Amino acid sequence: MRYVILGNGICGTEAALALRGRDPEAPIALVSTEHDHLFSRPALMYLFAGQLSLRDSEPYDHGLYPRMRLDRVRGRVISLDAAGKALCLEDGRAVNYDRLLLAVGSRARPAPWPGSEGPGVHSFVTLKDLNALDQAAKPGMRAVVIGGGLIGVEVAEILRQRGLSVSFLIRESWYFPLALDSRESALVAEHMQTHGVDVRLGAAVEGVVRDDRDQVCGVRASGEVVPCDLVAVCIGVVPQTAFLQGSGVALSTAGAIEVDDALRTTLPGVWAAGDCANVTWHDGSRRPEQLWYTARDQGRLVARSMSGDPVTYRRGAWYNSAKFFDLEWTTAGWVPALVTAEGVPLDPRPEVRFWFQRQPGQPVSQRIVCQGDRVVGFNMLGSRWNHEPLLEWIQERRSLDHVLRRLHEAQFDEEFWPRFSVRPEARVTAAGEA
Amino acid sequence: MQAGLLDTYRRPAGTRQPVAWALSGLLALAYLLPYFGPIPKLGLRVDVFQEAASALHLGSKWTLYGLLYTLAMLVGGAYFLRRHGRNSPYQRVRTTTVVAVQVVLAFALPLVMKVFRAQEYYFSYFWPLKIEYFYPSLILQQPFLILAWSFLGSLVAFPLLAYFLGKRFYCSWICGCGGLANTAGEPFRHLASKSSTAWRIERVSVHSVLVVAVVTTGIVWVNWAVGKQHPAFAAFAFQVQNWYGLVVGAMLSGVLGVGLYPLMGTRVWCRFFCPMAALLGLIQKLGRFRITVKSDMCIACGNCSTYCEMGIDVRLYAMANRSFTRAACVGCGLCAQVCPRGVLKLENRPDRFKGGTPIRVYAVDS
Repeated sequence: MRYVILGNGICGTEAALALRGRDPEAPIALVSTEHDHLFSRPALMYLFAGQLSLRDSEPYDHGLYPRMRLDRVRGRVISLDAAGKALCLEDGRAVNYDRLLLAVGSRARPAPWPGSEGPGVHSFVTLKDLNALDQAAKPGMRAVVIGGGLIGVEVAEILRQRGLSVSFLIRESWYFPLALDSRESALVAEHMQTHGVDVRLGAAVEGVVRDDRDQVCGVRASGEVVPCDLVAVCIGVVPQTAFLQGSGVALSTAGAIEVDDALRTTLPGVWAAGDCANVTWHDGSRRPEQLWYTARDQGRLVARSMSGDPVTYRRGAWYNSAKFFDLEWTTAGWVPALVTAEGVPLDPRPEVRFWFQRQPGQPVSQRIVCQGDRVVGFNMLGSRWNHEPLLEWIQERRSLDHVLRRLHEAQFDEEFWPRFSVRPEARVTAAGEA
Repeated sequence: MQAGLLDTYRRPAGTRQPVAWALSGLLALAYLLPYFGPIPKLGLRVDVFQEAASALHLGSKWTLYGLLYTLAMLVGGAYFLRRHGRNSPYQRVRTTTVVAVQVVLAFALPLVMKVFRAQEYYFSYFWPLKIEYFYPSLILQQPFLILAWSFLGSLVAFPLLAYFLGKRFYCSWICGCGGLANTAGEPFRHLASKSSTAWRIERVSVHSVLVVAVVTTGIVWVNWAVGKQHPAFAAFAFQVQNWYGLVVGAMLSGVLGVGLYPLMGTRVWCRFFCPMAALLGLIQKLGRFRITVKSDMCIACGNCSTYCEMGIDVRLYAMANRSFTRAACVGCGLCAQVCPRGVLKLENRPDRFKGGTPIRVYAVDS
């Protein structure tokens, strides 16, 4: 049985290691184009800043591959020959498989605006993107960052740190409405402004403006031109599946690989996992999970599926964390978005209430989502929280009173930090009032 | 990002470039000079440190050495606080403490004692790090209060503190060796090797020095008891004592320990050689201190491992969701501080949320 894994990111590598654990003999090959070793993609910003070297961002020692007898093939795959059970490489080679895992991940969503083709417009997903931005970004330049998500704020941070002036164009009326309410978003925007970022909300980008030498000289947004020398487009990622067109692997309209509960694609002998796989979420919707820990979990699970175990992928309770400059953010459970990407207010459910407090003068806040008396979600900004007890209380269907009494136990800040306490001005509001 | 750590890999002195090798040579020389005085083979015919000390009216060259060491910690401490103090009360309290201990207990107080013609005593150093504090010759010269301080410290307080707080209470909060590493040595902390080979060497070497320190102390005591009757043994004991002072005291803790800062990171002495670190590390392994790992939140970025001055590959534990206690860990707290996902926490108490059923069940057999 010859296993071939396309993609050596966290999902592909975890799958390879799990397969080796289950089958000490089978040939396993990892095919990749970007880098010879697994590296941490979320660490890209630290590579740019000089805080980490590329070697530092690689979790495993280089002896891992020979030790685990994982063959590596470096090359770009241009098509999948399902009948011949082979991957066809750009250089004419073919890699034959008995069982294939597609762990191809995603690439930056291309900028859709006129003028965005050509030099000076960057994304920040791959090592190639990193090198291009590193070459281009020089102190004193003016940059425009487009996209109000988590990568956008990282790029704004590293460009500011390098000494560029940064305008951050966000389409929505407040920053990151998918996860933050207006109060939290204002707190984050304030924090970004204290770090010198020119935050522009409600800025609908219309095009990239170029001079007669084809150099970027501005971004037109909501009728106004923001002058700049380079543009970073951080508007999400899309599955890297163009090479699968016509292969027989079913893709969703957004280009993700359709998989069943055991992460099998529509082709026999072919599995898919990680960023590129369309899986079923909690709420029944189908979309890819573009997270580090789910890519790892799916990689481990798909290895079991590929070696014949009857398995079912079930999305666990939602949690995530990120950092906006110095502000850490932890979310756990169900925290409903209150406004759509287009700015239309959403009213989640009538019985949903929010408990909220902010440390006066500090960029620190806590929000607890309640449904009736039951706590269903947490959104914590500016200090550290352990999502494990938070999820435990949600699972145990605890009341707000119970949770508030014990919340300090979930605080994960370092020693000597002020202990969490309920402030007198803490309030419970309905969704519409938030 | 950790504002102070930016550009770590863009500094020639911090990336083992020629300037780092030159700096390493200078630091080693700066330690060879006071320890060995004139070194005619190197063309040094005068005791430079002693001459300089006399010119400054400091009397002993060791007072000058102490003054320079303390100044390095003060300047380095300010530098460290500028890098890491803003967002971290732990780093503020820890750094202030370790610098204050150096200024008061390791510099000012011994100086005052000398001025009053008393036998100088370093209240922040204890056996086995300061091995001579358990030598009978020194014990017999000390007043009862200092003896009580020394014995209660080494034999009672330290084991208890290491059990309840981890060895960090000493290695990162009191000790001058750790103090210099965490202040003036700060730009080099990422250079400690994280390889498993380094870990294997460290375990053998650091525990060997501990054994040697205990045996040496024993030999000195036996000599005190029976040396007069056995002149051959007395000569042997004298040699052992001398060699320990030369190899461990001068070479390993000074010349190599500080000289290698720019090439192998700041804790070469603490990690590979310090008998006190070895002893406290063994107690730490049995005690309450640990680094708690928050499950399934690590993004494997490697900041924790990179900035661990003791060469612990923290990321492997974080990726495996395993809270851990490593004997080497000096509890400086940087791993937790540089983690962009807040995955790590230094703790002394039992963990309520460990050992239960896992919360995130991502796979179920059908």
